[in-house]
Amino acid sequence: MDPDPSPDPAPPPPPAADEATTALDALSLRAAADLPPDFAAPEIDEDDDDEGYATAASRGGSSTAAWKEEMEGLEEDAYGDAGPPSPSSSGYAGERGSSLASSGIEEEPDAATPPHAPGAEDWARGKKHADEDDASASWRKRKKHFFILSNSGKPIYSRYGDEHKLAGFSATLQAIVSFVENSADHIKFVRAGKHQIVFLVKGPIYLVCISCTEESFEGLRGQLELMYGQMLLILTKSVNRCFEKNPKFDMAPLLGGTDAVFLSLIRAFSWNPATFLHAYTCLPLAQPTRQAASAVLQDIADSGVLFALLMCEHKVISLVGAQKATLHPDDILLLANFILSSESFRTSESFSPICLPRYNSMAFLYAYVHFFDENTYVTLLTPRSDAFYDLKDSRARIQDVLLKSNVLLEVQRSLHENVLRVEDVPVDLSSQPTSPPAQSSEMAIGGPAGLWHFIYKSVNLDQYVSSEFALPIKSPKEQKRLYKAYQKFYASMHDKATGPHRTQFRRDEDYVLFCWITQDFELYAAFHPLADKTQAIKTCNRVCQWIRDVENKVFVYGESTLAWQYHHCWGDM
Amino acid sequence: MGCSSSLPASNAGGIGNINNDNSATDSKNLKLKLVLLGDSGVGKSCIVLRFVRGQFDPTSKVTVGASFLSQVLALEDSTTVKFEIWDTAGQERYAALAPLYYRGAGAAIVVYDITSEESLNKAQYWVKELQKHGSQDMIMALVGNKADLHEKRTVSSQDAQEYADRNNMFFVETSAKTADNINQLFEEIAKRLPRPTPPS
Repeated sequence: MDPDPSPDPAPPPPPAADEATTALDALSLRAAADLPPDFAAPEIDEDDDDEGYATAASRGGSSTAAWKEEMEGLEEDAYGDAGPPSPSSSGYAGERGSSLASSGIEEEPDAATPPHAPGAEDWARGKKHADEDDASASWRKRKKHFFILSNSGKPIYSRYGDEHKLAGFSATLQAIVSFVENSADHIKFVRAGKHQIVFLVKGPIYLVCISCTEESFEGLRGQLELMYGQMLLILTKSVNRCFEKNPKFDMAPLLGGTDAVFLSLIRAFSWNPATFLHAYTCLPLAQPTRQAASAVLQDIADSGVLFALLMCEHKVISLVGAQKATLHPDDILLLANFILSSESFRTSESFSPICLPRYNSMAFLYAYVHFFDENTYVTLLTPRSDAFYDLKDSRARIQDVLLKSNVLLEVQRSLHENVLRVEDVPVDLSSQPTSPPAQSSEMAIGGPAGLWHFIYKSVNLDQYVSSEFALPIKSPKEQKRLYKAYQKFYASMHDKATGPHRTQFRRDEDYVLFCWITQDFELYAAFHPLADKTQAIKTCNRVCQWIRDVENKVFVYGESTLAWQYHHCWGDM
Repeated sequence: MGCSSSLPASNAGGIGNINNDNSATDSKNLKLKLVLLGDSGVGKSCIVLRFVRGQFDPTSKVTVGASFLSQVLALEDSTTVKFEIWDTAGQERYAALAPLYYRGAGAAIVVYDITSEESLNKAQYWVKELQKHGSQDMIMALVGNKADLHEKRTVSSQDAQEYADRNNMFFVETSAKTADNINQLFEEIAKRLPRPTPPS
């Protein structure tokens, strides 16, 4: 089915709210009739600061012999010897609820804390509002829900509330999917009043987002794809086999203790442009500093490590892959999110199985993770399960070099100083000796021509840089709104039905948004709503020139051939 | 990269185990690979962090995969023991990986929470697994953690002690929060460590 509202002969998810109600009623499931009316009325913004968080240790803890067998049996399976399933062979039959019972509800530590400080706050500790279920008024008013469920309707994950109590609701979602699939069709989304219910079916696993945030279908679907990717990073796609053996397999315990990971990813949807740009960002560093880091990582990669990444929070300092292996930007995003949201990585060095879904969704790699300081960490990925001591030695070598060449110090300095500010966009002195008289004094805030913010993505490098937010969009709420506007803009620029487009200029009461896409880059810029179009476009040209001037500082270059191609492209512009 | 090459441990053999081969010890400086196993949330990481760093952090930090820490303990007989500790994740999805960490280990601490009978069940599962697949001369300790929460106790010391005796383990109740019995636990393991016979 198409996301556009053109009529479809098959029984589609109807676009209108009342029709949706009828369709849901037809499924005659308990929760179905409640759905549309309850999803009206004032919503609770997920980032409103009055929320409390449960500090629960984990929800898992239950034994899932099927998974263990899956993990152990795979090796034999590879030789074509798939043994019969015997899910009851485990020596213990644990139940849920064995995790820490001492948890309580805590107020969010600091209402003013922006979501930009990953791992810094305690919000990432556990499940949000675990006491809620679909009967709670507060649960129904949440602006954006995420669910993961199995194709038998078993809940696997819910952003809000306790999965167990949401069994009925999950069954409803499952029924909607199978209702449409029974007519040999696939559900993409349902619109019900202000709400959009977006579905993503991945084999035996269904992902659903219920949102009234006015985000685009493409945007929400992209977020569900990342949720799925995050799940694969933890479990690999081999979890599907558990469902083949037992369709009623309860998968939720396998994700025990990972609430913070998903919560942090959902937060990233509203502050991290990497979630929709499918590009990563680098920490700006002087070329020699980065080269020192890259050289030692390259050394390590040549000695049997598949990928070596040095990162500061979500920003890449250097990354190196063995031979032809390349890392997809989404994998970098999901890996960094996993590491930064799991506090235990900061406590000591770790060795953990991790799957890079875009690299190989079926197999685990082993990740050696070590934090050099509060926010700088190295991740070494290898297919060898016995490589820990080798990687530990490699890390010591890396640490030596980083200390000797002052890389860690430079990283800290860059973190605080090396930001791209719109105020620093060079003014073209030759054509514009003074600022245009037409500009109001308001316009003087921010960069030239009322520039408030920009994101520049290099298509060839899969990397982006973004400016610091100018004063008018300093608050996290404003920033979140701008990112949502960018996301919509991104979706419309890349719309397969009408695009792709080269430029778009849009003015509304909040901003002027300008987007420019070429073979080599994508530029997204936000200006004061009264910005002059000609001046804005001139400014965008200058931003592009400026980025070219500092490209060695703000981007990471891979092998020399890649860099050559890249410069070759620049030459054509 | 094939599917089979990068899978976590299998009991069918042929798996790599994490083992530092330079376990060369002289009679005065011993080295011991130790693994902690148990249900999630029983306090394995807290026990290790109390022993290694003398710290206790009440906020629970779910361990991912396994963490590696080391600590040197000096004994009264002027020997030192360097503990290389694998603090494993209690989550179910990592259960299949455990052999990776306990293979080649000289000692194992199986932890349960004295306020949770369920966690003792899981501890018993780990004991069975170690008896089946661990090395023969492995020193095994059964540890009831959270002893400070005695008013919420559901597992009696006697039951645990009897179980430990039956399985040739030593038993101790600890509190990572109050540091009660933590050092004693590691000292006891160190004492039981077989001393290499000095070359004649």
